Amino acid sequence: MDTVIKAFGLVFQVDVMVAIVASAFYGLTVGALPGLSATMATALLVPVTFYLSPIAAVATIITASAMAIFSGDIPGCLLRIPGTPASAAYTDEAYAMTRKGQAETALGICLWFSALGGIAGTLSLMLIAPLLADIALSFSTYENFWLAMLGLMCSTLVARSSPIKAIAAMLLGLLITCIGIDNPGGVPRFTFGSTDLLGGIEPIPALVGVFALAEVMRALTEREPPKIESRRLGSILKGQWKLTKEYPKQQARGNIVGIIIGVLPGAGADMAAWVSYAMSKRFSKTPEKFGTGHPEGLIEAGASNNASLASGWVPALLFGIPGDTITAIAIGVLYMKGLNPGPSLFTTQAESMYALYIIFILGNIIMIPFGIVMIRLASRIVGAPRSAVMPVIMVFCAVGAFATAGNNLFAVWCVAAFGLIGFVMEKNGYPVAAMVLGIVMGTMVEQSFVTSLIKSDGSILPFFERPISSVLAAMTFAALLWPLLAWSLGWLKGRRTVAAYGGRQAPNTRA
Amino acid sequence: MLLSDKLTGGVVAVLGGLAFAYGSQLPPVPGQQIGPSAFPMVIGTGLVVCAGLIMFGIGHRFEEVAEADVASHSAPEELEPLPAWRNWLALLPPALLGFYALASETLGFLPTAATMVLVASLAFGARPKLAVPLALVAPFVINLIFLKLLRVPLPGGLLPFPW
Amino acid sequence: MTFLDRRSVLQGAAAGVAGLIAAPAIGQAKFPSRPVTLICPWGAGGGTDAVVRIVASLMEKSLGQPFSVVNRTGGSGVVGHSAIATAAPDGYTLGIITSEIAMMHHQGLTQLTYASYTPLALMNDDPPGIQVKSDSPYKDVKQLADAIKAAPVGKFKASGTGQGGIWHLALVGWMQAMGLAPNHVAWVPSNGAAPAMQDLAAGGLDLVTCSVPEARAMIDAGRAKSLAIMAAARNPQFKDVPTLKEAMGLEVPLGSWRGIGGPKNLPPEVARILSAELKAIYDSQEYRDFMNARGLTMKYADADAFGSFMGESDKAMGAFMKAGGLAKG
Repeated sequence: MDTVIKAFGLVFQVDVMVAIVASAFYGLTVGALPGLSATMATALLVPVTFYLSPIAAVATIITASAMAIFSGDIPGCLLRIPGTPASAAYTDEAYAMTRKGQAETALGICLWFSALGGIAGTLSLMLIAPLLADIALSFSTYENFWLAMLGLMCSTLVARSSPIKAIAAMLLGLLITCIGIDNPGGVPRFTFGSTDLLGGIEPIPALVGVFALAEVMRALTEREPPKIESRRLGSILKGQWKLTKEYPKQQARGNIVGIIIGVLPGAGADMAAWVSYAMSKRFSKTPEKFGTGHPEGLIEAGASNNASLASGWVPALLFGIPGDTITAIAIGVLYMKGLNPGPSLFTTQAESMYALYIIFILGNIIMIPFGIVMIRLASRIVGAPRSAVMPVIMVFCAVGAFATAGNNLFAVWCVAAFGLIGFVMEKNGYPVAAMVLGIVMGTMVEQSFVTSLIKSDGSILPFFERPISSVLAAMTFAALLWPLLAWSLGWLKGRRTVAAYGGRQAPNTRA
Repeated sequence: MLLSDKLTGGVVAVLGGLAFAYGSQLPPVPGQQIGPSAFPMVIGTGLVVCAGLIMFGIGHRFEEVAEADVASHSAPEELEPLPAWRNWLALLPPALLGFYALASETLGFLPTAATMVLVASLAFGARPKLAVPLALVAPFVINLIFLKLLRVPLPGGLLPFPW
Repeated sequence: MTFLDRRSVLQGAAAGVAGLIAAPAIGQAKFPSRPVTLICPWGAGGGTDAVVRIVASLMEKSLGQPFSVVNRTGGSGVVGHSAIATAAPDGYTLGIITSEIAMMHHQGLTQLTYASYTPLALMNDDPPGIQVKSDSPYKDVKQLADAIKAAPVGKFKASGTGQGGIWHLALVGWMQAMGLAPNHVAWVPSNGAAPAMQDLAAGGLDLVTCSVPEARAMIDAGRAKSLAIMAAARNPQFKDVPTLKEAMGLEVPLGSWRGIGGPKNLPPEVARILSAELKAIYDSQEYRDFMNARGLTMKYADADAFGSFMGESDKAMGAFMKAGGLAKG
């Protein structure tokens, strides 16, 4: 109890409070700007943390990243441009709600369930940290391989399109990750003598291209959408309590999946959102409503990405293993500030640990009022003319990618190229989200597969023998076979699955 | 830019074929059972298989269903076709990004971004009364955010920012 | 207001613009007169990033201009190193040069060598260590070496970085020093030291040859232990870890070093200001405290000595790479 009081004393200092408030606004702004990820927000904070006390330094990182992950939902919801990759999974859903005139409900869901998810993640960090970290620590490359495969399986679930085209798009994404020398053999592939291609295609410019620039391109070819009534947004939180009671299972599942994915090394908030959205659809009683502006998937995925954020700190604090890219940066800051990761942190510096928990909870609580302010500010851009917003977003696409890639103009070319690719793919029914998934997971699939084979001297048995590995393998095959099974059963029953998959419109479209 | 499945499938097939061919040329790495050639070859094969299925129209039904679904949720006026030349306007943003990549080092961020905003804004049908002030103010604010808030120096060029 | 006609406004504006363009030229007298960019070829949060960021913040304090760090990553360091070498040689774009510059041209990945830069100062040099799982049966490095010698080729698996990376060379160097084939222990490429250490703890590997500070978190967590470091002297932060020379009488002259440099042909005056500043930073208490806190080994060389240090390193690395079959041509 004494340490808890000391921890409060550490947190409630003027400099820590100022740091929290300032980084909250910073995180909200960066997250809401398309193309600027939460990771980038954190990375750019590192020089600032040089000048802060240890607790204030950690507080800025925690607050800014949590705010940015939530804030990424705002442009996704209002403009169908995800602010951060973590929002990409349910952008279409949130935008569909806005189109139905339910922008405040959609934003409210994102805010309310983000905050709840963040708090759930923090509780997991506090209560089950040692246990979860132990499991995650026994992950070798064999388990990582299955994890990555499971991630790729999600590609056919996230899109409302032909599964064949989804797989093709995912394979294109994988092919893109082959570019460069960051492969297990260290052999240059598809580089054609270019230094920039040697470095490979970074996910951020690709993401900015297919999600943001392609959206600007699409807007140019389409007429201005019917104005969303430019009324003031209603109460953001109204009805959220009702939704909380209506979808307890989805929320709990989102939190748990987010927590688990956060703990696993390398898989962060983006992955959590994809998996949770797909899972929500798979287990929903009304899967046909997904993609049409239905709150269910939004609740589950919105809770999930914020929950993963806190639990990503579990392996980071205990073993110095990053749960995601944000904690990778956080580990550097922890060392810099003398809070070296390790179990000893929990014993010798217990009050610092408790201070960290308090900051997490505090950050998620102030997210609600701050988030409402941000939503109110941001919602004005819906009323702003498209001819003013889109050009500015386009400049941000160029500059954001340029800045994340270390002021490299090659990233700007990448954005332009991926804008074109994304535009053409989207027009022809190839889901770009599946390609992005391929780009994010590609290196992990190849790396874990090749290194596993080296370790096992070419035998594939360890992929199935190790206990956790075998469970993950079974899940992967189940995910692979389930649609095939459902599809062939449907075929036998006179193609009725198609009707169930596509909703009430299906019978009319049958040729 | 709506193309037929035969055409897009064909492009995918060619890409897959090229990936396979390129992959098969890569040298093995001593000590690794699976060399750098395997992954591109597997992907290439997968792409060719998918392309074949796409060209035969397998799975197209899901798209029709999804399209019909979207259509039933959109306002009717959005579905009216636009003149075909509007499609080519889509090439403008990538072209402007190319302009940024080529010109920003010499011209500097402010003039480059101002040009981009002006052109794009006019293409979106803005009146000069909106487009010109926007082109003057927006790059300035963006530069301020990046330089002061995020500490990312943008190309100075003719008009270096911290005056 | 009336006499402020269009012409005078235009003239004023023209004069203003001319002044702006001329400003940097006037300010050239005292370097630096505008913000300086430091390119880091490796990702944020890593060891190289940490070193360059502490240097940048101390430079900023004493030279009074912003020093911003830009992480230009990818291509195993080639992209960032090439960006430093091809920048305008005016002193406003510098970077941190790492040991990979002595390696990648041997692999045929780039034409760049240490000679493509103006060396300013060597700031740090981390020797490789030999880490095993904490419950491993080998009590010291001698026992591990005997077990490796007795085992067939490829039985033992090691990791720490990618194929042909610095810690791979450390393993090759150690094998050579023991008179074994370079591939006697199989190399499992990984995305850096942290994933390799995790895989070690998860039981997927037999040893990891990364530096001790990189292994520190796992060692502190009681999941791994360090048996030796391949250095001339012990690391004061890890006093209990013997050197390979003490334990086996072997020397492997190789380390992961980092220094500050700029593109070739920096103006001598600018180079002089910068290297004097780097010397002051190296001697400062702040730098020492920071490096000690992270367990990084301090090593200094002035501009000329850094240049010849890189040349020697280039030769040594080239020899190891040829021996390991990692060099091209």
